[in-house]
Amino acid sequence: MLSEVYVGIDVGSVSTNIAAIGSDQKIVFTYYTRTNGQPLVAIKKGLYRLKDELGDDTTIAGVGTTGSGRQLAGVMVGADIVKNEITAHAVATTNIKPDVRTIFEIGGQDSKLILVKDGMVVDFAMNTVCAAGTGSFLDHQAERLGLPIDRFGEMALKSKTNVQIAGRCTVFAESDMIAKQQYGFSKADIIMGLCRALVRNFINNLGRGKMLQPPFVFQGGVAANTGIKAAFEEELKQTVTVPDYFDVMGAIGAAILAWEEVEQKGCSSFRGLDSLKTDFTPSSFICEGCANMCEVIKVEANEVTIAVWGDRCGKWKENIKQVKLKEII
Amino acid sequence: MKVSFPYMGPVTAYRKLFEQLGYEVIVPPRPTQRTVELGAKNSPEFACFPFKVLMGSYIEACELGAELIFSSGGHGPCRAGFYGEIHARNLKNLGYQAEVVIFDEPLYNWKGFYNNVKRLKGDNSFFRLLRATFLTYRVMSELDKCERLLHRISPYQRKAGSAEKAWLLIQKEYANVFNGKGLALARSKTEEIIKEIELSKVEERDRIKIGIIGEIYVVLEPSINMGIENILNDLGCETERSQYLSEWVDYMLIPGKGKKEKGIMAKAEKYIDIVIGGHAKQNIGHIIDFKERGFDGIVHLKPFACLPELVTESIIPEMSRVYDIPILTLSLDEQSGLTNNLTRIEAFVDLIRKKDRARHIS
Ligand code: SF4
Ligand code: SF4
Repeated sequence: MLSEVYVGIDVGSVSTNIAAIGSDQKIVFTYYTRTNGQPLVAIKKGLYRLKDELGDDTTIAGVGTTGSGRQLAGVMVGADIVKNEITAHAVATTNIKPDVRTIFEIGGQDSKLILVKDGMVVDFAMNTVCAAGTGSFLDHQAERLGLPIDRFGEMALKSKTNVQIAGRCTVFAESDMIAKQQYGFSKADIIMGLCRALVRNFINNLGRGKMLQPPFVFQGGVAANTGIKAAFEEELKQTVTVPDYFDVMGAIGAAILAWEEVEQKGCSSFRGLDSLKTDFTPSSFICEGCANMCEVIKVEANEVTIAVWGDRCGKWKENIKQVKLKEII
Repeated sequence: MKVSFPYMGPVTAYRKLFEQLGYEVIVPPRPTQRTVELGAKNSPEFACFPFKVLMGSYIEACELGAELIFSSGGHGPCRAGFYGEIHARNLKNLGYQAEVVIFDEPLYNWKGFYNNVKRLKGDNSFFRLLRATFLTYRVMSELDKCERLLHRISPYQRKAGSAEKAWLLIQKEYANVFNGKGLALARSKTEEIIKEIELSKVEERDRIKIGIIGEIYVVLEPSINMGIENILNDLGCETERSQYLSEWVDYMLIPGKGKKEKGIMAKAEKYIDIVIGGHAKQNIGHIIDFKERGFDGIVHLKPFACLPELVTESIIPEMSRVYDIPILTLSLDEQSGLTNNLTRIEAFVDLIRKKDRARHIS
């Protein structure tokens, strides 16, 4: 059976996620891999996997990109839409749970709080500087306690005593944890204490001055951790929902946006899987044309420049020959 | 005597002033990452971000041989009051002999102001000083007017970068102005340059207007605010700032011309009743002003470690609710990466567009 899918690609500095939805908006494929500093390689791997899993009868009818590497990824695949991750996450969540009011998203490198009303984002905050509110903090502590991170949550739920851990900052949390261990608190109690500290941190940093209203949805890689979910529920005294595809919500959002875009435009600008064989080389230089000294980023495919951004006066964009990409690839 | 000045907004205009007075002018390089790092390295750690950038900028001017730096100060409880002193001392410690002359508000310290004016005047006659000041002021106001216009039309430019290109050309035109005749010529050339920009038609209801507020230095100087106006323009939004240097000069120096600013301050009365330094009070007033003038959203620029703007930030959630206008606070410092702020800005524009559309439908 011939079928069409819309693909969303979320390129972060830690992980690259891909999701595909059918024309009925059902999720048919998800993929998660480490970016390892090579986003292009990660995307290629993911898209080939998609082809393998869905078979030759499936065509990609549209592509959207998001995440910190969205622009480069967008150029490479010929995305129909390139969208920031806050909007992408919100689109995915409101699609799955239309009445959502508050979204917590905690990933490996950053965390976000998104407030929604009537399916529209009305406010948001993003933490990108403080590690104490992100997944890398937990990873680090799990390692220190000699516990695999995927058992963290289950362990936390075994906690019987409430241990306060100073969670303001990673450094303090760590020394406080060591002290509490020496007092003889169980590992489970300490882990639950950590989860509470992270949640308190999240709410204090990102939620300051904002009204958090139910229904709550918790997503992002860290949502796998049942301890954190429990800590959120405890703090808010409300149920918090973790969606089925919590770890690829950004990619799902990008896929939905691609679908909407293609519906409107009537066709897709996706370059096709074969074009992935081309070598794309991004590079950057400082233009000395005037005092602005723009940092210009250019992407070459087979040694022909296909995209440029960052030049404010359009000086370098002008020079791109409007060659048909097919001719290069 | 080789003189220099802070890099803040329309440097073409300052340059005019000193050239006319017969000084050899050293235009400090436009602040870059190096400037910021140099400044951060040679400033107290707790200093606010503008202090650090200015420090770096002065050092770079000294490297180019500046002997005298003219700058403006501030007074009141914020740190701007002791800027000059510390900058000068740090320069000395680094082995530069440059002197830093700080202009304060005349009403605040009349005598100091007068002495500084005498210093600036040097051997020139008062008439010459007045003429130079007046020409500078005219150049400044006209450049401000152009910049304002460009940020209003550039979201609709047909070809990417054409408004910025026009702006570069216009600045060049004004750099060659030495008298009234030159001014008239520059003005007509500017009109032509602006006419050249091809624009697409956009319905009034589809236009999005965003006001920029915050601490004066980061609001005025694109090189240290990530070029916020250009970013928003490229995302299809018109922008207007709370501050333009010529308006600030009006308020500070020209009696009776500061009416606009006074009106803005009055609007803020309800939220902050004392002047707490920096431009916190004006900013609160500007939020209300932008809303009243039909703007769709506000971006608030807060330098790291700036106390007055921290106060503004704390009032913002309430103001945003009461006045029903989305406000995004961006913190700027030596480590702020563009990538993350770009995500915030794009999401903010998406939010405003959706809000707008919903309003038109209902
Ligand atoms: S790209 Fe244009 S605006 Fe940027 S530095 Fe070069 S000439 Fe100047
Ligand atoms: S207003 Fe803020 S940034 Fe400006 S000088 Fe004062 S403390 Fe520094």
